[in-house]
Amino acid sequence: MGGLAHKKRLSSLCASPYLFVIPALVLVIGIFVPFLSAVWTSFTDSKLYIAETNFIGLKNYIDLFRSGQFQQSLKITVFYSLLSLAVQLPLGLGVAFLLNIPSRMQRFMRVVLVLPLLIPPVVAGLIWRTMMHPTNGILNHLLGLIRIAPLPWLSSPKTALISVVLIDTWVFTPFVALLLLAGLQSIPAELKEAASIDGAGVLDRLLWITIPWLTPHILLVTIFRAADSLKSFDIVYQATRGGPLNATRLLHIMAYEEAIRWAGFGKSMAIIMVLWIMCYAITNILVNRWKRAVEVM
Amino acid sequence: MATKKTLQGVLLYLGYLVMFLFIVFPLYWIVTMSFKEFRDIIAYPPRFLFKPTLANYRAILGLAGDGAGFAFLGYLKNSIIVSSLSVALSALVSIPAAYAFARFPMRLKDNLSFTILSLRFAPEILIIIPLYAVFSKLNLYDTYLGLILVHQLITLPLTIWILRGFFAEVPVEIEESAKVDGCGPWRILTRISLPVILPGVAGAMIVSFVFSWNNLLFGLVLSGPKTQPVTVGILQTMHFDQINWGWMAAAIVFSIIPGILVSGYFGKYLVKGLTEGAVKQ
Repeated sequence: MGGLAHKKRLSSLCASPYLFVIPALVLVIGIFVPFLSAVWTSFTDSKLYIAETNFIGLKNYIDLFRSGQFQQSLKITVFYSLLSLAVQLPLGLGVAFLLNIPSRMQRFMRVVLVLPLLIPPVVAGLIWRTMMHPTNGILNHLLGLIRIAPLPWLSSPKTALISVVLIDTWVFTPFVALLLLAGLQSIPAELKEAASIDGAGVLDRLLWITIPWLTPHILLVTIFRAADSLKSFDIVYQATRGGPLNATRLLHIMAYEEAIRWAGFGKSMAIIMVLWIMCYAITNILVNRWKRAVEVM
Repeated sequence: MATKKTLQGVLLYLGYLVMFLFIVFPLYWIVTMSFKEFRDIIAYPPRFLFKPTLANYRAILGLAGDGAGFAFLGYLKNSIIVSSLSVALSALVSIPAAYAFARFPMRLKDNLSFTILSLRFAPEILIIIPLYAVFSKLNLYDTYLGLILVHQLITLPLTIWILRGFFAEVPVEIEESAKVDGCGPWRILTRISLPVILPGVAGAMIVSFVFSWNNLLFGLVLSGPKTQPVTVGILQTMHFDQINWGWMAAAIVFSIIPGILVSGYFGKYLVKGLTEGAVKQ
């Protein structure tokens, strides 16, 4: 389509592309300065109310990896993230399939699906905490109606983390479902028709058409959910504050408390660097896969 | 054959029912709680039927008369100011940027756009704590300007990313003919391409408004009494272990109204904005 000639003409205005990006770039640089300062702070003993700050090398990091509390938070964070993904991806896929079936209620159900996305996660944490109240919460009452013994939900170290993942699932599964639904709708009708003419059954179509077509979408939604669940904060902050007995003390919560409650900026930034590297590594790997998957299509 | 059809229909609606209850019940519960008196709230077994009262709303809007309640409207105002101005600033900045990413051959293009997108994946505390020191020095702490700037961390990557997908969709041929007529790139953007993707701009703005509105951490660390948003304000209904459930529920209802209104009017743009950026490379 004359792409080359077009490219040439556009690049003759070579000054302008960067001109277009400059304002955005300024804002991005504005974010990079604090980022670099965070890296530096993680190598110091910086405290909020103490003027003197010393460079202490890797001490913060060494202390962290020796501390049992950090190891536990690290474990919990990874578990939280994996469990969220393991629940929300299949569930979201199921909902996407459900809402892709034409019916009279289809449009209405899609509106319902969007609702949790409009609720601030911190507020969702609050709503569910109210419902999960161990003695007079509605959830235990409902369980009682079907003769199931009351659960301690957020108030026991054994069930707290799973309860928080349940809240996370309520908040974020619609996001997963929406993206996958968009993927399902982008499957060309001819492809499906051709397959049924060839006599492919439902399972065949799922395995050889739908799933491969959805792969980039699944990867993309995994990128978002993996990073967001690793750095999850709002829901836990409201539902449990990291308790009981640190059972839900995710790394992001730990870094926040270290900085705000204990004023230990140096240590807090070391925690956040570990978390950031985890987020960055996982998104980078998945983004590269995603790019490859998109190119194949 | 007919029975198979019926069975499928039953299963479909059963699926709808489960999904509907799971999503809507928590919302129903909190909305009814906001209309309950204290004794109805703490009653066990929980009451589905009760005499509704507006006392909680009167209290949080400062209409109670006896000085009880708290200034929830102030938090609401702060959130509206910060979120809408953040979105406006992001739109202004990202329209040209997204256009450049979609259209111009740039050597650093891929790296740049990924860097901007990866901001979205960084833990907020990473930026907020260093910013706290900077903001204190520059007198930006507890100001709208400071919050609007830091909210760019959420709204900017989203807007750029979504708009890039929309710009890439605009047929190059339309722009070609404008160029023959001697239009420069800036005029092509504002006169030709931008009008075509206005629905996309609406979608991007709604999505980033919702995400900005929902944010807790920026307000928690970088705002004080003057600029605290609703997500922080709601937490003020709880002092230590004393939770005023009725006020809390009423405040929650208020905090989710703007999101629901915005997406009620522009619902299809919301979904478009969310999914478009994802589907288009």
